[in-house]
Amino acid sequence: MTLLSAATLFALPPVLPRLDAVNFKPPAGDRVTLDNGMVVYLMKDATLPVVHITAFIKTGKMNDPVEKIGLGEMTAGLLKDGGTLKYKPEEIDKTLEFLAAQVESSIGNEEARADMTSLKKDLDTVLDIYAEVLMHPSFEEDKVKLKRDETLEMIRRRNDDPGREAVREAIRAFYGPAHPYGWRTEEATVNAVTIEDMKAYHQNYYKPNNIILAVAGDFGSNDEILAKLKARFGAWAKGEVKFPVIPPVSIKGARQVYFINKDIAQAFIVVLQKGVKRLDPVEYPLTVANEMLGGGLSSRLASEIRSRKGLAYTVYSYFAKKPDYGYIIGYCGTKPETYSQALSEMLKQFSVMAAEQAPAEEVTRAKDSLVNSFVFKFPTPFELITERASYEYYGYPGDYLDNYVENIAKVNPAEVLATAGKLFKPENSLIFVIGNSAKFDKPLTEFGPVTELKED
Amino acid sequence: MKSLALFPILLLCCAPLYAAGGEKSEALPPGAGIEKDPQYPQVVSYTLKNGLKLLILEKTFVPTVSFTMMFKVGNVDGQQGKTGLAHLFEHMAFKGTKTINSAGYDKEKVALEAVEKAAQALIAAETETSPDPKKTEELRGKLADEEKEADKLIVKDEYWKLYSTLGESGMNAMTSTDYTGYVVSLPSNRLEAWMIIESDRFKNAVLREFYRERSVVMEERRMGESDPNRLLWETLFSNAFVAHPYHNPTIGWMDDLTRLTRTDADKFFKTFYVPNNATLAIVGDVRPAEAIKLAEKYFGSWERRELPERNYTKEPPQKSEKIINVFFKAKPAMRIGFHNPGMANPDIYALLMASEVLSNGKTGRFYKNLVEGKELALYANSAHSTPGDRYPSLFVIAAAPKAPHTLEELDGAIMSEIDTLKKEPPTQWELDKILNNYQADMIKQLESNPGLGMSLAHNEGILGDWRYDWKTGAELSKVKPEDVSRAAAKYLTRDNRTVVFLREPLEQEQSGKP
Repeated sequence: MTLLSAATLFALPPVLPRLDAVNFKPPAGDRVTLDNGMVVYLMKDATLPVVHITAFIKTGKMNDPVEKIGLGEMTAGLLKDGGTLKYKPEEIDKTLEFLAAQVESSIGNEEARADMTSLKKDLDTVLDIYAEVLMHPSFEEDKVKLKRDETLEMIRRRNDDPGREAVREAIRAFYGPAHPYGWRTEEATVNAVTIEDMKAYHQNYYKPNNIILAVAGDFGSNDEILAKLKARFGAWAKGEVKFPVIPPVSIKGARQVYFINKDIAQAFIVVLQKGVKRLDPVEYPLTVANEMLGGGLSSRLASEIRSRKGLAYTVYSYFAKKPDYGYIIGYCGTKPETYSQALSEMLKQFSVMAAEQAPAEEVTRAKDSLVNSFVFKFPTPFELITERASYEYYGYPGDYLDNYVENIAKVNPAEVLATAGKLFKPENSLIFVIGNSAKFDKPLTEFGPVTELKED
Repeated sequence: MKSLALFPILLLCCAPLYAAGGEKSEALPPGAGIEKDPQYPQVVSYTLKNGLKLLILEKTFVPTVSFTMMFKVGNVDGQQGKTGLAHLFEHMAFKGTKTINSAGYDKEKVALEAVEKAAQALIAAETETSPDPKKTEELRGKLADEEKEADKLIVKDEYWKLYSTLGESGMNAMTSTDYTGYVVSLPSNRLEAWMIIESDRFKNAVLREFYRERSVVMEERRMGESDPNRLLWETLFSNAFVAHPYHNPTIGWMDDLTRLTRTDADKFFKTFYVPNNATLAIVGDVRPAEAIKLAEKYFGSWERRELPERNYTKEPPQKSEKIINVFFKAKPAMRIGFHNPGMANPDIYALLMASEVLSNGKTGRFYKNLVEGKELALYANSAHSTPGDRYPSLFVIAAAPKAPHTLEELDGAIMSEIDTLKKEPPTQWELDKILNNYQADMIKQLESNPGLGMSLAHNEGILGDWRYDWKTGAELSKVKPEDVSRAAAKYLTRDNRTVVFLREPLEQEQSGKP
């Protein structure tokens, strides 16, 4: 495959040398399935005496029972910290930290992960612990209390950073606080989680046939590392995993304004619109459209709101794909006295993208930016093999990564316009603002019906 | 000691990592040296006649290359009343040159001068003891008109657009108290394009759209004012330092920002952005001989100039404990700073060890005793040198209590851990653990091209030797348990400390706020 780097020399000062295409075909690595269904991606890399592993465990915060939101997070957080059948928590910490090794597990909305890093010389010891942590966590009571207290403290502190608060609460209002895409952990739901719940959760989701492993580094040959993995995970029995049914999302699709009054130096503004489902090929023109709209400091949002008008330091857009409808987000922080100018400009830029075909030169530049920087998706062999594993995890076709550049390069200005026209509907967007309304330059009601919320 | 024997671990990585690249046989020019000591990576060093230092490390996996251009100029080098100038200049360095972002510099130059005149008139009017609102409004209008005229001669965002087309990744810049760094990674066949654009950037920068960018920086400052974390740090540094410029926030005081002019920034640029104040690190798929040849070609004519002397007021010894309460709408948190003796003082290694003994991992004392154990803290961390390394700075502790525990309880427990450290030297296990982690970090830092580039350029440009991290490892292995206790007893004392407590506002005060 030759990556198409369109020769946009006309945009460059005449003194620059001719730019050749970036020719890079990401190595495939190897993919093996163990007898118990565990998928293993491998890429040997002997440049440094280090081995990295990550596991994708198919679950996520959205699988929590509604009355126990936080169950997945506490389970993942305690896999290592709560000890295992074979190792006490203190023993794990002492061994790993003395060897400068890491074993950490975490959970996001749609994926749980367990990561391991070890120096080559300690691989056997660290791998023993890593496998135990994945297979046999014991959720010791005092560690459960500690994790629960920490989770409760984080809930108390969730509004300390108003920018993050704005994004989180906007998404919550967008999907509704009862939908798994929008909900957040609460004191009552965290308190409802029992050790038995965590054991049952682990029992259900942490199964070899529900895990994809990505391994890279100086691990000898594939046979050697596979033998090590089989010795530890081989006897782990496969089994059926029960997934809850996630209710379909329902998005109001009419302009609504949400507001939290807070006396802070900036107003934080979020604009949300209905996005796309994962695996929809519309992602290619949408990626190009977003790159033009809010993808970097020469994008339209940054150019107008930041560089030309000096209204903001932070302003951007992106889109999040989900199994059901994702979202398209615009974000900006500006002083309360100029919030309406910044917000009006954000809405206008979405509208212009949807109404007017962009100059071919701008579309080409956005594509060049995506195509020519594609190689940076894989700065290291571990990041490359993790990327490949993640595409399988999220259900993309096997050649997704290899065709990505061509699919971006094919996008033309008409498709960008058609996609923006279909998806950018700022008149139907949800607007969320946190800031000091006493200093606002215009009342929020000028942007639509306002619901004022109390920070909680 | 076991750890000493472990240091040569670094050797293992060198051979395969740096032997790549078929054209390496091309001879290096005279004056270029390749590191031969196997305990370090094979960095090629070369200094241009004008003083620009190059550090080049060839590493291949993907065809990319990471650039770090590091200037030894930071917020400490802004003069009184001009805080934030180093950072604002950093923003301006993305606004193009005489040929980039310009539709014709001869005409634009005249327009920019008109903008500057209007801006200075406005600033003068605003700075009067009792500004006349009518006059300032009029001058503001005049400035807007002149800016509009200048806009006609601008090619908007061309510098950024160039890099988008080239396929940049991680294009950014950072300013600290000590330094200003410019970073970008590109596909490796863009080496010459980078040399052309960046040599033009640092020889011929034109500070267009200055007053708008100043507004962007004011927004950046407001963003920080909304963030309890930034507020805590700013309050700590401005209270711990009273005479030395580490007192000033890198973003600048808002009042200074309102009076900074393009003339100030131009002068700053001409003073500090000189080749003999710069270090360039290039890491990735690059042939050192070729990089040197191109650097000579494009950066060779960059004019060397003498730098001003930079001996700033030394911070006098702190003789009393300072306790500051900040009221802010966020949950309680705290920062502590103890003055350290500076990076050139050999005690710094024992202090680094002390910091690690306290806060390295879950077996570190803070986690083991304060997060677990007493269950007082949500977190408790430390670092031995903040906010800078060029001058003596602070050994800092950052912590937050877990409800219902209070800041006072947490502070008491932290100080009691420090007292224990003063009395009971750390165990050999604790020190060995830290050395093992340090050595592993030295290996892992070789994984990332931009990370390694930053580290090489910073260590050479600011600390005087790109091998600094490796040498520190060797120094750490010489630190004995009693050295750690001795350093703790000497520096981590009450009269040498500044504490900032962030507290939620009291109800009645909150409602009475203007």
